[in-house]
Amino acid sequence: MRRYVFGRLGQVILTLLIYVTLVYFLLQAMPGDITMMYLSNPKIPQAAREELKKQLGLDQSLFMQYVSYMKNFFRGELGVSFSQYPKPVWDILMEKLPRTFVLFLTANVFSFYVGFVMGKVIAWRRGKVIDYAATVVGITFWTAFYPLLALVVIWIFAYNLKWLPLNQFIDPRLWSAAPFTANQVFGNMVYGAAIIGIGIFFIFYYLLRGLKPSRRSRAQAWALACALIAAVLFVAARKGMLIYIWDITRHMILPVFTLTLINFAGTMLLMRDSMLETVQEDYVMAARAKGLPDKVVRDRYAARTALLPTVTSLVLSLASSMSGGMVTETMFSWPGLGQTLFAAALSNDYPLATGALAFTGIFLLIAHFIADILYAVLDPRITYTGQSGV
Amino acid sequence: MDTLLRLEDLTMHYKTKAGWVQAIDNVSFSLHRGQSLGLVGESGCGKTSVAMSIMRLLPYNAKLVKGRVLFGGHDLYTLSDEEVRQLRWKEVAMIFQAAMNSLNPVYSVGNQIVEAIVTHEPETGEDEARERVKSLFELVGIPKERMDHYPHEYSGGMKQRAVIAMALACNPSLIIADEPTTALDVIVQDKILREIEEIRRTINMSMIYISHDVSVIAEVSDIVGVMYAGRLLELGPADDVFKRPKNPYTYSLMNAYPSILGEKHDLVTIPGEPPNLLDPPTGCRFHPRCDWATKECREVEPAWREITKGHYLACHNPVRTEHGTAHNKTARRAPGKGGDGIGTSGGN
Repeated sequence: MRRYVFGRLGQVILTLLIYVTLVYFLLQAMPGDITMMYLSNPKIPQAAREELKKQLGLDQSLFMQYVSYMKNFFRGELGVSFSQYPKPVWDILMEKLPRTFVLFLTANVFSFYVGFVMGKVIAWRRGKVIDYAATVVGITFWTAFYPLLALVVIWIFAYNLKWLPLNQFIDPRLWSAAPFTANQVFGNMVYGAAIIGIGIFFIFYYLLRGLKPSRRSRAQAWALACALIAAVLFVAARKGMLIYIWDITRHMILPVFTLTLINFAGTMLLMRDSMLETVQEDYVMAARAKGLPDKVVRDRYAARTALLPTVTSLVLSLASSMSGGMVTETMFSWPGLGQTLFAAALSNDYPLATGALAFTGIFLLIAHFIADILYAVLDPRITYTGQSGV
Repeated sequence: MDTLLRLEDLTMHYKTKAGWVQAIDNVSFSLHRGQSLGLVGESGCGKTSVAMSIMRLLPYNAKLVKGRVLFGGHDLYTLSDEEVRQLRWKEVAMIFQAAMNSLNPVYSVGNQIVEAIVTHEPETGEDEARERVKSLFELVGIPKERMDHYPHEYSGGMKQRAVIAMALACNPSLIIADEPTTALDVIVQDKILREIEEIRRTINMSMIYISHDVSVIAEVSDIVGVMYAGRLLELGPADDVFKRPKNPYTYSLMNAYPSILGEKHDLVTIPGEPPNLLDPPTGCRFHPRCDWATKECREVEPAWREITKGHYLACHNPVRTEHGTAHNKTARRAPGKGGDGIGTSGGN
């Protein structure tokens, strides 16, 4: 296992290198450069423009620029943004990253969970009304034009019903007197979510692996999970952050809802298909013959083994949501990585655009890496010994 | 002896796009506690459907047209789903046709058995259940350290044993073994059959063996039922049925199998194929393949009657000992082989 993990890490780094190279040259292939921004300004003389190019290092050959960029990249130095000069790219990304991360991770987890549960239910009751209804509704949203759907959702819930805020990720009136910056709160939300997530994973890991059939241990696991969540919330309350966390959460509801609406059908249909195969398996029939309750047969036998392909889809949906993030962030005025990337690309801000894309890539590679590890956890038949070449 | 299981005129059809498949037709038999019944017949003759009817595990397109399944005083098809669920495994357990695939690949074998025990006996603690699994593993001959291993870490024979251990987990009154050893090689097959029989006799459990293999059924059954195209053609004590088969189908089926201990004889195949049950033949369902079919066989459905004590038959023109030789003359022989040895192992 360890050998596998290290080998896989090596692959991740190699892929990252190729990816950043591609991104770098693709962005450079865009017409013009930062100095073109000043082209229409007749007051800037040609000499000053040349001087600017020289200062930014754009007068060197493309290859030399690339070499120096890569050298810096692997030292964690992403350069300085052209359009927000002299702010370092790293600082800009670190400011935006948590917002994007929290929003899309939440949206993905939600749409995955909704899709998984619905897929499970409709596969179990295939051919019934609920099967057709869920499929039609799911496909309708899946094929809807996303920006329009987002506008409709905003129009209904924020404009007409006024249940939720229109846009942005914080309410400026509340935050003017806040003792923290939004990013501190965000950071804490990420830590909190990570602690809860990892904690719950370990609590249920035991159950997932071992299939403890008794309800007692299941109830214990739930109790532990609830205690963990309560503890994290308590710490947040002690710090006086709860109201700010609630504000951010409120702003997240609409984008997460919209993303879930549009994405859940993918997971649902995949889960349905995958489970239609597993319900035919002999061990599902055997489980029914064993006199296990219907729900147990569905969840622990049919759905449990159908989970694997769906986990792949979770990873892939992380990928698509990172690129689709630009639309979401624009529609909901969410000041995150997607918006930053969009603005950087428009203004020929190579370092910022490359940096933002590189981060998207790093996310993806990490997601794939985690998916591979998850496979081994979910399916005991998969073992990474390193020798067998599985 | 008290009756554990009784099927009364069980008739069950499957709905398909092409029409109703008459999978089980008027099947009746009863089984006493501690008795073993062997159901034998070609593939697709309804043996597994009978088993699934007893478990009430029929697919959604199956319809019980007529008849009852009485198990230990319960009429199975009048019970609620929940009541049937509680009877399963506790009272009737099953060893599946594909034992290799009847274990869930993502949970350890031991836990799958523990699950069955804890579900049906909620008062049993998990540790206690694990202890029982250990002793079951000893009983069927799997090292007990293997209970926390996953199915893919087991060999075929071990999986088969594990499935048997699972069937025994709740001390059921009846185990239905559907082709329990078909996937195994002959030596392991024989060993496992003997072990099952030994366990069965020790704990006085009833058993229904289902197989297309006459030799397997002959080895382990007290009574034998011969099925053809969804109907029982003959049922009786194993000795009776195998030594003095009355139905021409039973007779042909036995000639189609080699006998190791008996005299050498040529194997005679039964020409033709089992009928399409969407539109079964009129009269006796075996008549198109029967060498001794008469006009009556083609037109009138033979009655299910008791010919000697415990020996039931549905045939207009049964095999008689003296006319067994007459049958031999008309029986088709394997190509290139002659001789009058046909039927010597079972014909007299």
